[in-house]
Amino acid sequence: MAEQKGLSTNDLRSISDRILLLSQADHCRVNIDSGWRGYTRVATNRITSAGGRDNTEITITSVFGNKIATVSTNRFDDSELEQAVRRSEEMARLAPNNPEYMEELGPQNFNRVAAYYDSTGSLEPQTRAEAAALAIRQAQAANQVAASYMDVRAGTSAVATSSGLFGSHSSTGVAYTLTSRSPDGLQSGWAGDEANDWNNIESTRVAADAVRKCRNWNKTALEPGEYTAILEPTAVGMLMLRMMNAFNQRTADEGRSYFSNPAGGNRIGEILFDEKVTLYSDPAHPDAETAPFSNSGQPVSPKVWVNAGKLESLSRSRYWAKQQDQEPIAGPSNFIMQGGDSSLEEMIASTERGVLLTRFWYIRGLNPRIVSHTGLTRDGTFLIENGRISRPVTNFRFNQSLIAMLQNVEMLSPSTRVAASENSSVSTPIVVPALKVNGFNLSSVSDAI
Amino acid sequence: MSKLPLPVNHLGSLSQEGAPLHLARQFSRRDFLKIASAGSAAGVLLASSSSVAAQSLTSTERELLQHAIDVAMSAGADYADGRIIRTQFEAIGTREQTITQVQNTDSFGINVRALVGGSWGFSATRNLNRQDIANMAREAVAIARANNSVAPAPTTLAPVDVYPNENWVTPHSIDPFSVSLEEKAALLLNANAEALREQNIRFTSSSILSVKEERLVATSEGSFIDQTLFRINPSMNITAISADGTDFQSRSAVVEPAGRGYEYVLGLDLVGNAPRWAEEAAMKLNAVSVEPGQWDLVLQPSNLWLTIHEAIGHPTELDRAYGYEANYAGTSFLHPPEEVLGQLRLGPEFMQFVGNRTEVGGCATIGWDDEGVPAESWPIIENGVFVDYQTTREQAAWIESLTGVSRSHGCAYGQNWESMPFQRMPNVSLMPGEEDLSEEEVIAATDRGILIEGRGSYSIDQQRYNLQFAGQVFWEIRNGQKYQMLRDVAYVGRTPEFWNSLDVLGGDSTYFLGASFGDAKGQPIQVNAVSHGCPISLFRNIDIINTA
Repeated sequence: MAEQKGLSTNDLRSISDRILLLSQADHCRVNIDSGWRGYTRVATNRITSAGGRDNTEITITSVFGNKIATVSTNRFDDSELEQAVRRSEEMARLAPNNPEYMEELGPQNFNRVAAYYDSTGSLEPQTRAEAAALAIRQAQAANQVAASYMDVRAGTSAVATSSGLFGSHSSTGVAYTLTSRSPDGLQSGWAGDEANDWNNIESTRVAADAVRKCRNWNKTALEPGEYTAILEPTAVGMLMLRMMNAFNQRTADEGRSYFSNPAGGNRIGEILFDEKVTLYSDPAHPDAETAPFSNSGQPVSPKVWVNAGKLESLSRSRYWAKQQDQEPIAGPSNFIMQGGDSSLEEMIASTERGVLLTRFWYIRGLNPRIVSHTGLTRDGTFLIENGRISRPVTNFRFNQSLIAMLQNVEMLSPSTRVAASENSSVSTPIVVPALKVNGFNLSSVSDAI
Repeated sequence: MSKLPLPVNHLGSLSQEGAPLHLARQFSRRDFLKIASAGSAAGVLLASSSSVAAQSLTSTERELLQHAIDVAMSAGADYADGRIIRTQFEAIGTREQTITQVQNTDSFGINVRALVGGSWGFSATRNLNRQDIANMAREAVAIARANNSVAPAPTTLAPVDVYPNENWVTPHSIDPFSVSLEEKAALLLNANAEALREQNIRFTSSSILSVKEERLVATSEGSFIDQTLFRINPSMNITAISADGTDFQSRSAVVEPAGRGYEYVLGLDLVGNAPRWAEEAAMKLNAVSVEPGQWDLVLQPSNLWLTIHEAIGHPTELDRAYGYEANYAGTSFLHPPEEVLGQLRLGPEFMQFVGNRTEVGGCATIGWDDEGVPAESWPIIENGVFVDYQTTREQAAWIESLTGVSRSHGCAYGQNWESMPFQRMPNVSLMPGEEDLSEEEVIAATDRGILIEGRGSYSIDQQRYNLQFAGQVFWEIRNGQKYQMLRDVAYVGRTPEFWNSLDVLGGDSTYFLGASFGDAKGQPIQVNAVSHGCPISLFRNIDIINTA
């Protein structure tokens, strides 16, 4: 096995020990992120940029009483490290009291999560260039123009506190996405894949899917309105990346969320979604593995947010949990929607009239009380008529409550890891099915292709 | 080609440091002490402007950067450039009467970009020693060579003068990093307290983010440029909750980021203005929900700047027009260049947009860019017609035969030492009208309209056609006067029709710079800070939707 990228556990521990020894604060916490990133980008059927970098960033949090400050640095020779510790202490002494500060955690038991894959960690620039060349060849063969991106990360992280907590974790991630366009700019298709393990990236399939979606059909207009919509997993994932932030108890208890109870408190225990909807997080979920601890060293455990339509739990910080006299629950580190057993083909075949959506762009929140968002469809929007894809159509802006969408779920495919970030960098792992939903609000036409 | 009223000021203007723009008139020492009073005896730090840290990158660093370039060239690069960059951030955040965040980050490293044949390779390291730097330089060349063997392509770099020993500092009078945290905290907590006094105001948050970038740029052609850039981003968000707990409304985006020092924050008078913003948040609870349909729109610069950013700034990025961002940030409706440059009318005869990296206070204002190209200003839309894009050295040649411009407009920027420079947005601004119309005069020009202040939810498609923008505060205009507050307003449109519906421009006295620290583009994604100036402006018959 090749040497892992990022500082070793021993180095992580020795640096955090050095810092904790230097610390003169009441409490101190150290977070270390160490790793390598490599990328290759294609546009106009050529490689337009490619690079790599190594970095280690150390974050020191010093606390006096309730006064707290954080300093990050990537310079850690002895003198520089000591300067950073002193700077964080000076800043903390100056900082006014934070009544919400919770003392640093002591030793915790973290479940070990094997999230580092050597296949990804030892990926060479040459392999990335070859994947790029494959995409360029497939696009050129179809008289199309490729724009692709491969983002590869490998490294380690650690958290340590002056109360004796230490946790470390190593992980890898790779995202590969491809947009293929016709030379006249009138067609566009997209496909992508994301994984911790490079062996799970299907670069040939990604290239074939993107090229196929950019097929040379004439796009036609379609009236805006409410449609039965089949959202491919990537489209669902892009929305769930927004949805996951809504599961916060404090905003609910404070009257600022859909999960607020008008009479005070929150709506845990109520059926708020279609019974086919189950949403959960699990740091050990296969090929969506994440660290088993949060930045503050709080253990991240498997957690069900919505179980068969019922709101089961909301995350709560240690401070809010104490106010409510409850146990803290770390926020989601990944987000998984339980799949169903329908295939995408079955969803299409069961649809008399509807749209098939590939992915979205420029998603922005509108109204947090109904978790509504706006955004645009992109790179593969099709009309379905009488159980078949009948033709590609122009893109749309949507204005849609994600709550309402999850109340109108008709069919689900099995779940899969998707490249859910709009910029196609390795993101918070999102594992979701394709969904068939009713009443999806395509509010206006977009001329963009 | 340029006959627009902006100075070409590529040598910067340290001389302006002593004149804290717009602040001197409004700010007294008594105010300063009042703001600082909640802190302890640390006192008031009025930084002396002469202590600017332009020299904090040392001659050793200059030598190391030259070493990186030399190694890349001897490893076979046809051209190389490199940077040593130190970026410092300081953030202080508050919520009601609580400090939520005190944070300082310091990131330092070196990079080199190498051209082999027509292909680029880039590498970066935080290890500033000769051995690691040599390895980095050779890796950049190796990546470039691998790319050139797999997918060779031609690249022509536009000519640029050599600047062997230059430096530039953002004009400012108070280095934000010299002002104590307790002074900043006191200012924010006082502003929060003022807001919380108003009825129905339950939550407030506020913050100040300060940025200092020290950048040493060198090219294999012999340029060596040392710059220190300052930017500052104050912000405040106020939330009102209705008495029965069923509704809440927020007022945020009350002030703008700027490429200035701390004197800018002081001049904003957050404490004095907080009650007005709080009152607006509370008024939104009882505001009338908008009637959808066509309305005239009067856009304050605090709203319009973001529309400019999205619907003029982005589509005039030349790399987007060519498809370089097809897999992420998108392409552009201003394509192909040979069919739109000098031909496409995007607005009325009096509509002038300039790209510039010279406007004092602009977040994208610099002395030289990341390729050693001096800052300049140039027309992008002239007399309503699209005439030029934003370019780097690599891109200038692509459209030289159409524009007659052989040189780069100086738009190369990499967000930090880890990041490969590429084309980023300069300040792009709408020039005020020739007649100096006031806000009242522009409002008076419509019988039935909506006045919008502040940026709200915003979204636009990847070719920049379909736009949907909300705002912070909405007023119905009846018979040329503000009538009543509205809510749930968003305007939608198609970019070319939207700008062609521009009917009245406010004058110089209404001109104002809005800005964002979060202009995103590229893979890996990089963030750019940019300002957009504009006057208050009236647009006719715009579609309004109700977002409730």
